[in-house]
Amino acid sequence: MSDETMSARDVIMQRLKAKKSPQEGAYPLPPVVTLGDQDASPERFEASLALMGGRMLSLQDGEGIEQAIRRAFPEMRNLCTAVPEVEGTLRIEDLETHEQADKVDVMVVRAAFGVAETGGIFLSEVELKDHLADVHLAQHLIVLLSKNELVGNMHNAYQERSEFRTAGYGVLMSGPSATADIQGVLIRGAQGVRSLSVIWA
Amino acid sequence: MSNRPVPHARLAAEFLKDEPHRHFHDERLWDMRQKRDEQMHIMPEWQELREQASRLKEHTLAHLPQYLEQFEENARCNGIHVHWARDGAEHNRIVEKILKDHGHSSIIKSKSMITDECEMREYLEPKGVSVTETDLGERIQQLDNELPSHVVVPAVQKLTTDVAKTFARYYNTDPNIDDPHALAEAQRNAARPVLLSGDTGMTGGNFLVAETGSFVVCTNEGNADLSANLPNLHIATLGIERLVPRMADLGVFIRLLSRSALGSPITQYTTHFRRPKKGGEMHVILVDNGRSERLGMDDFWTSLKCIRCGACMNTCPVYRRSGGQSYGSVYSGPIGAIIDPTFNARKFSTLPFASTMNGSCTNVCPVKIDIHEQLYKWRRVLAERHEIPFVKREIMKMAGRLLAQPTMYRLAISGTEVALKTMPRFVLYNYLNPWGKHRELPHPVKETFHSWYKKNRLNRTKTQREETQA
Repeated sequence: MSDETMSARDVIMQRLKAKKSPQEGAYPLPPVVTLGDQDASPERFEASLALMGGRMLSLQDGEGIEQAIRRAFPEMRNLCTAVPEVEGTLRIEDLETHEQADKVDVMVVRAAFGVAETGGIFLSEVELKDHLADVHLAQHLIVLLSKNELVGNMHNAYQERSEFRTAGYGVLMSGPSATADIQGVLIRGAQGVRSLSVIWA
Repeated sequence: MSNRPVPHARLAAEFLKDEPHRHFHDERLWDMRQKRDEQMHIMPEWQELREQASRLKEHTLAHLPQYLEQFEENARCNGIHVHWARDGAEHNRIVEKILKDHGHSSIIKSKSMITDECEMREYLEPKGVSVTETDLGERIQQLDNELPSHVVVPAVQKLTTDVAKTFARYYNTDPNIDDPHALAEAQRNAARPVLLSGDTGMTGGNFLVAETGSFVVCTNEGNADLSANLPNLHIATLGIERLVPRMADLGVFIRLLSRSALGSPITQYTTHFRRPKKGGEMHVILVDNGRSERLGMDDFWTSLKCIRCGACMNTCPVYRRSGGQSYGSVYSGPIGAIIDPTFNARKFSTLPFASTMNGSCTNVCPVKIDIHEQLYKWRRVLAERHEIPFVKREIMKMAGRLLAQPTMYRLAISGTEVALKTMPRFVLYNYLNPWGKHRELPHPVKETFHSWYKKNRLNRTKTQREETQA
């Protein structure tokens, strides 16, 4: 068959099989590795989060989560919540349009787990109640994270957390959105959330 | 597209004329290199990670048909539409068709080098499709109608004042803004309505995972997660070389990628797409565009291991002092110089010569591509194919003959010493000596090693060889 009558897929496959330089036998599949520091402590997570521009929000004596959020963001006009621990002013499930989400000052979610090496927190459609874009439209993000749901490094994350195989959309957010595209100046708060705060809960 | 060789040296000279730009560019890229080094030094496993990354990529490339089939099958099971494109033109037609089928006409797009490689914007825009780049650096380049200067930081050759002028033209902001924060805010405010109204989201992707049929997008600004998730239609374009076999292999690559690129432990967003969102539709376009041909080249196939971190660009003294625009290609710097000639050997024939052969690119490469060796091999290939300029070729030939004959060489050297001492500059520095354009010729030495040795060696009797030659 000529290139014209074959599908693009078949042409590409045929080209690859016909001309491939590296021989299969010479390059066996290396076993999976787990390298480096696997410390999964909250202290390591906190240090990494700070490096990525995120921050910890700790509860003061007798203070509830919602009170702590209101203390951290005294100016906020609304608080959108995806967690039962916080009542907020509206629930994420009740967002009907993205334009509504665009006006959210503070969003609170629970992460499935965190990565101590990078200060990253994992969110999927499960935690976001299918509001995938809305979390990124909010101005500020509060993340509830359990100290029991920490993995050491990225090797541990991919090997130990089943979410990578079950989630349709899974994002590891390590600090807030950022850019250094203008004259190398690091700016926290680019196009996604302007700040990301984690509460141990 | 013009087929004329990119005048790299002349374009670099243009870029170097402005001292503030020259200085900032050099310093900024070196700073990224140093931040990368800091990360490397705190990780004792760094070299082991590089080795593992290299072996995984080599294995995958050696078994590419099998992993592509595995990816396709798993992605289809997840509900993703998988398309194949032989070249850039076919890729662009696929995108056009998907849009047409949906009655769509506005694309919001995160940064992807491969759509630039396919010249997608140039194809779609005359057909009435708006394509808005949402990455800040890529947006600046789009507004200025320029190719990206760097794979990670596309507008790195520009200063705040340049961006302020560009934004003033398109965003109606003050042309005298000198605060990058204010400009980034202007981009955020300008991008939001476009993001909210776009009907099609497009992203590139850093990795395809064969085992799960998912793909991974590593970004910092949050624009990719917005572009992909806001509309109900998400199209992702990736090169066929982007595969890794297993989910667990990502640990190796994610740990290396941003550390090598910017010196940060990870990108702010590491996003895994495995199936379309609820009520949405997802398409993945797998692009060949010369990759299968490169995989058949014994000397150059390992360039397909590249994960586009840009570390080789940041470390390269030539790239830092010439700027990405001088390469005239989507891919610049050392990695560009070894992959661009596979797209067009004539047009990019000058690029493998834009190197001092110091090997720093090879040393920083997280997937251990022997970049400087491939630069050397390209020079040889291009010389054989007569793709290098006449003067350079003839001088190389003369030098070759000279260096092959010791007596001729010695005669020439002693002549050169006299010439360097006595000749006027216009004789020494002219078009026959491109090397001398930006460099001073070495000071003549009083005595060559050979003549010194002849005078000073203990045994002053002539060797047999010299006897016979005399």
